[in-house]
Amino acid sequence: MSTRERVVVVGAGMAAVRLAEGLTGIHDVTLLGDEQHPPYNRILLSAVLEGTHDPDGITMSLPGTVDLRRGARVVEIHREEREVELADRSRVAYDRLVLATGSIPTLPPIRGLVRLDGRLDSRVHAFRSLEDCRRLDEAVPGARNAVVVGGGLLGLQVARALGVRGLDTEVVEGGDHLLRSQVDAKAGAILARDLGRLGTRVYTGARAVRLTGTGLVLDNGYVLETDLVVLTAGGRPSTALARRAGLDVRRGVVVDHHLRTSDERIHAIGDCAQHGLQVTGFVPPAWEQATLLARHLAGEQVAYAGSRNVARLRATGLDVAVLGDPEHAVGQVVEVSNPVTGTHRRLVVRDGVIVAATLVGDLSRIGLITQHYDRGTVLGASEPGDLLMGERPAGPVVLPDDAEVCACAGVSAGAIRACASLADARETTRATTGCGGCAPAVRQLLAQRTSPGPTLGTTLEGTPR
Amino acid sequence: MTRTHCPYCSLQCGMTLSRTGQRTGRSLEVQPWPEFPVNEGALCRKGWAATALRGHRERLTSPLVRDRATGELRAAGWEEALDLVAGRLRELQGAHGPDAVAVFGGGGLTNEKAYQLGKLARVALGTSQIDYNGRWCMSSAASAGNRAFGIDRGLPFPLADIERTDVLVLVGSNLAETMPPAARHLDRLRANGGRVVVVDPRRTATAERADLFLQPVPGTDLPLALGLLHLLDAAGAVDEEYVAARTTGWEEVRRSLAAWWPERVERVTGVETAQLRECAALLAGAARVTVLTARGAEQHAQGTDTVLAWIDLALALGMPGKAHAGYGCLTGQGNGQGGREHGQKADQLPGYRMIDDPAARDHVARVWGVPAASLPGPGRSAYELLDALGTDGGPQALLVFGSNIVVSAPNATHVASRLADLDLLVVADIVMSETAAMADVVLPVTQWAEETGTMTNLEGRVILRERAVAPPEGVRTDLEVIAGLAERLGSPIAFSTDAEEVFAELGRASSGGRADYAGITYDRIREEHGVFWPCPSTEHPGTPRLFGSGFATPDGRARFVAVEHRGPAEPTDAAYPVHLTTGRVLAQYQSGAQTRRVRELPDDGPFVELHPMLADRIGAYDGAPVVVTTRRGELKAPARVVSTIRPDTVFVPFHWVGANRLTHDALDPASRMPEFKVCAAAVSA
Repeated sequence: MSTRERVVVVGAGMAAVRLAEGLTGIHDVTLLGDEQHPPYNRILLSAVLEGTHDPDGITMSLPGTVDLRRGARVVEIHREEREVELADRSRVAYDRLVLATGSIPTLPPIRGLVRLDGRLDSRVHAFRSLEDCRRLDEAVPGARNAVVVGGGLLGLQVARALGVRGLDTEVVEGGDHLLRSQVDAKAGAILARDLGRLGTRVYTGARAVRLTGTGLVLDNGYVLETDLVVLTAGGRPSTALARRAGLDVRRGVVVDHHLRTSDERIHAIGDCAQHGLQVTGFVPPAWEQATLLARHLAGEQVAYAGSRNVARLRATGLDVAVLGDPEHAVGQVVEVSNPVTGTHRRLVVRDGVIVAATLVGDLSRIGLITQHYDRGTVLGASEPGDLLMGERPAGPVVLPDDAEVCACAGVSAGAIRACASLADARETTRATTGCGGCAPAVRQLLAQRTSPGPTLGTTLEGTPR
Repeated sequence: MTRTHCPYCSLQCGMTLSRTGQRTGRSLEVQPWPEFPVNEGALCRKGWAATALRGHRERLTSPLVRDRATGELRAAGWEEALDLVAGRLRELQGAHGPDAVAVFGGGGLTNEKAYQLGKLARVALGTSQIDYNGRWCMSSAASAGNRAFGIDRGLPFPLADIERTDVLVLVGSNLAETMPPAARHLDRLRANGGRVVVVDPRRTATAERADLFLQPVPGTDLPLALGLLHLLDAAGAVDEEYVAARTTGWEEVRRSLAAWWPERVERVTGVETAQLRECAALLAGAARVTVLTARGAEQHAQGTDTVLAWIDLALALGMPGKAHAGYGCLTGQGNGQGGREHGQKADQLPGYRMIDDPAARDHVARVWGVPAASLPGPGRSAYELLDALGTDGGPQALLVFGSNIVVSAPNATHVASRLADLDLLVVADIVMSETAAMADVVLPVTQWAEETGTMTNLEGRVILRERAVAPPEGVRTDLEVIAGLAERLGSPIAFSTDAEEVFAELGRASSGGRADYAGITYDRIREEHGVFWPCPSTEHPGTPRLFGSGFATPDGRARFVAVEHRGPAEPTDAAYPVHLTTGRVLAQYQSGAQTRRVRELPDDGPFVELHPMLADRIGAYDGAPVVVTTRRGELKAPARVVSTIRPDTVFVPFHWVGANRLTHDALDPASRMPEFKVCAAAVSA
C-alpha cells in the first residue's frame, strides 16, 4: 500500500467520478469541475432530452470523502510547485495530478452561427453538457422543426429524441453515409431508411454552409427551414492546459501504460488522453482507464493495454451496436445483410476471435456477441455464422413412448398412453400430481389416444425435455 | 397412519405414512396429506419414494471403528465406539486446547438436533469451532435479510401468498425441479392473471413456465437488479411515499444507479436492453411484486450484496410488508431455516441470538445452567473451519452430523486432504457416505420416520415429523449419540434424548430472541398445520406474515443498502474460457447420500450440460464424454447438448463426487458463502 497522497483531478466528469470512487480510503481526492452541477452521467443526456429520464436521476454518486469543487476552472498547471491555479487565482497543491478534461465540441465552419456580438445565434445549440441539454429542452416546446448537424452516434440520438418530442427533424451529414466513422455504407443506408420511416429526413454528402433568417443553407443549394440547429459534429480532446504546461500532446495528452503523461506526477484519463494511437471518446474505455489508474495509484501492479469499446445507439426505434472499429479492424468478415428486412450484421474475426462487429436493425444475441468480444473467446469455425443467424423456433416434438412426460413422478409418454383417463393417469402413475407442469402434455396425449388416426407418436409443441 | 413431512427439501411437503402397503407392497408407504397447505397432497418422486431407504441393504446398523493395524473399518459396540471417541477428544483438547475439536452440522438436522449439537459444542466440549453446511445454502440471503430487515426468515409470508401477486420474479431458482410441488403456486398465480419472470443462466423447467425469461452471465444478477432499478427510477415507478415512511438509505442507492444505464448492464450481464426494458415495464406496471431469490443468486462471493440489490428493488417498489408482495428467499435444505436459528452456526446461540451479545449469553447460559463466561465466542465459518482442519492452530478432530462434506464442500479435493490430516474424524450417518468412508469412527443413526423432531420450513413454519416405525436394531438417534458423548466428556449438565423435552428447552432458550419458539408445542403444531415463529407465548397465534407494521430494525424501518458489482472471483481467461455453474436435478438431493441409493430415482451419474454452439466448437456430441477442467480439478462426464443453456456456460449437477472438485472457494465477506455458482473452466471433448 502506498502512502496517502493528495490526488487532484482536473474535471468532474464520468472518468473523474470513477477514479474518485476507486481511490476512496486510499488517497485524498479533490475534483475540480468547471460546471456548476454535481457530476452527472453524460451518456444519459439524450434520454433526458427525450423525456425518459429525469435530469436529477442522472446525478452520479461520489464518496463523501471526496472534495468536490464546482465551478472551479483550472487555468494553469505549475509543475515546479506542484500546484494548479484556478480562474480566481487561488491555487491547489497536488502530489498527483490527473487530467480528466474530456473533449470540447468542434464548431463546424457554418457562417451565421455566431452573431455580430460574438454570441451564438439563439437557434443554435451544442449538446455536450447538462446545461446544453436544459437549454435545448427549454427551446423544444416553442419549436416546430430542428436540424441536427452531424450524423454520428450523438447526432442520431439527439435527432431521435427531438423526433420523439414531436419536432419535424432533419439530419445533415457531410460524409456519404450515417455513422461513417463506425459502420459501412450498407449499414448507413439501412439507418437512413429507418430514420426516414420514423419521420426524420437525412441529407448525406451535404454540408451546412450558412445559417440565415430562413434556415440552414446546404452546399447543394437546399435551404432547410428550422427553428433549432443542434451541432453534434464531433469534438476533440481538451488539451490546452496540458499543452501550456509543456506536456507531450499529440491528438490527445500522450500517456503510457500507467496513464502517465510526460510528467511522472501527472496522469490523464478519458477523452483527453491518447494511449498509443488511441483516443477513445467513449465512457467505457474512460472508466477502464479510471479503474486501472486508481489501482495503479493504490500501489497495485497493473498496466493499461488499451480498451475494447462497445458503442450503442440509445435512440428509440433505432437498433445499432458497434463493437471495436469494424471499418478498420483486420480479419475475416462474416456478414449477414438483408436490405429487405433492414438488417445488417457483420463480425470481423481474427484467429477465431471477434475483433469488431456491426449490428444494425437486429440486435439479437448482442449480449452473447459482446461477451465473446470482451472476453476474447476463441470461437469454432462455424460459430460466427451461427451467432449471426437468428435462433430457429423449436419445431413440434414427437414423443416416443419412452420419453419422460412427468419428471416429478417419472412417467413416460407410453405409460400415459396406457391410461384410460386423466383420473386413471393420476391414480396409477401419479403424473400431474407433483409440480403440475405436465398436465397440458398429459391431456394432449390422452386426447390423441382417443382420437382416430395414428396412435404411435404424438405431436406436442414446446414440451420441455 | 402417521402424519409427517418429506425428508428432503425446505418445502417440507406434508405426507402420511401408512403401514398397509396397498400400493407399493412396502411395509411403509407414502400417502398424500391433502390438507397440509404448502403442498396440498402433491409430492415429487423423491417424496413418493421416501421410504425406500427403510430396510435398505446399505443401511449402517453397527458403529464402525477404523482398525489401526489394518486401516479398515470394523464393527464395534456402542460403548466401545463412544468411549473411544470421548477419550480421544479429551486427549486432543488436553494437548491443544478446547478448540482442537470441531463440530460440523447440517441443514437437514431437526431443530432439536441442531440445538443439542450447539450445546454439545459450547458446553460439553467448550469449543468455539462449530458450523454447518447451511452456510453453503442460504447464508447470503440470511445476512442480507438481517441487514435490510433486521431479521432473517426465508419467506416473511406463507408460500401460497405468491398466488395473488401480480409479478413474481424468481432469481436463480429452479423450483419446478428442486421443489416441484411449489410450482403449483406458480401455475395458480398465472391462472389469476399474474406474470412470472425467471432469471437464470439456464432455461430451466421453471423458466419454461415464465412469461419473461432473462438469461444473464453467471455472477451478474447484482448489476441486473441495479439496471432494473435504474430504469424503474427513471420511469418514476419508485414508491416515494413508502420509501419516505418505511425505509432509510434510498438516496445513496439512487445516486449509485446513474452508473447502471441499460447498455452498460447489457454489456456486463449479457441481458439485452430490450428484455431489460420489458422487465422494468412489467414491474413498473404492477401493484404487487414479489421477488424471490435462491441459490443461483446467493452462492457467490458477492451473494449478500446481490440479494441486497434485489431487496433494494423490492423496497423501491414499496413491496415488503404489503399483502401478496415483498421479498423472500427460497431456502434449500429441509431445515435450512431452523438449522441456522438454534446454535449450530459459528456466531449464534439459540433463538437467533448473537454469541458475542452479553445479554444473549446470559440468557442462554441461564437456561443451560452454566456460567455465561464458560461459553466460547464465535468460531470459524464452515469453509474456513474445514480449511483449518489438521493445520497448526486448527482443529485436530471433527464430529460430523448430517453432512457429506466430501461431496458438498467447494474445492473438494483440498477439503478431503484437510479431512485426511485430522487425528480423528467421527461421522454420524445412516449410510456409508463418501465422508463416512474417510472416518475413524462411524456412528449409525436413525433416519427420518424412525425418530421424532421438528423442522422449520422455508416459510418459517415449524412443523413436526413424527416417528412412524421403530428403527432397526443397533442404531441410535442423533440425540442419543450427542447425550452419550456429552456424558462421557463430563458435561456439567445432562442432555435429554427425548425430542419433545428438548424442544421445550429450545423454546425457553429461544424465548425473547429473534427466532422465538417459546409458545410453540408439539400439540399446537399438530393442531395448526405448523406454527410460524416468532411465537413468544402459548397464547400467541404465531406470525405467518412479517413486516406489516414495521421491520425488525431498531427504528422499525427497512434499510436500503448501496452495493457495487465486483464480479466473479475467478473471471474467464484464455486458458479457462467458459463459466462453470452447478446445481441440482429433480430426482436427486444434495450429496445424494440418500437419493442415489433409492432404486426408483434415476441415477445416471453426473453430466455436463452445454450449448450446441459450444459443443460444435470443441467437437462434443450428446452423450459422449467431455472433460471439464478448472484450476482445482477435473471431471469427465457425458455431454448433454441442450440449447437451453448460455453458450458461454457449462452446468454440472453436484449430487455426485466431482462437481465440487471444480468449484471455487472464494467466500462472501459477510456470509462466508463460497462461490459455488461461478468459476472459470475449460471444456474439451
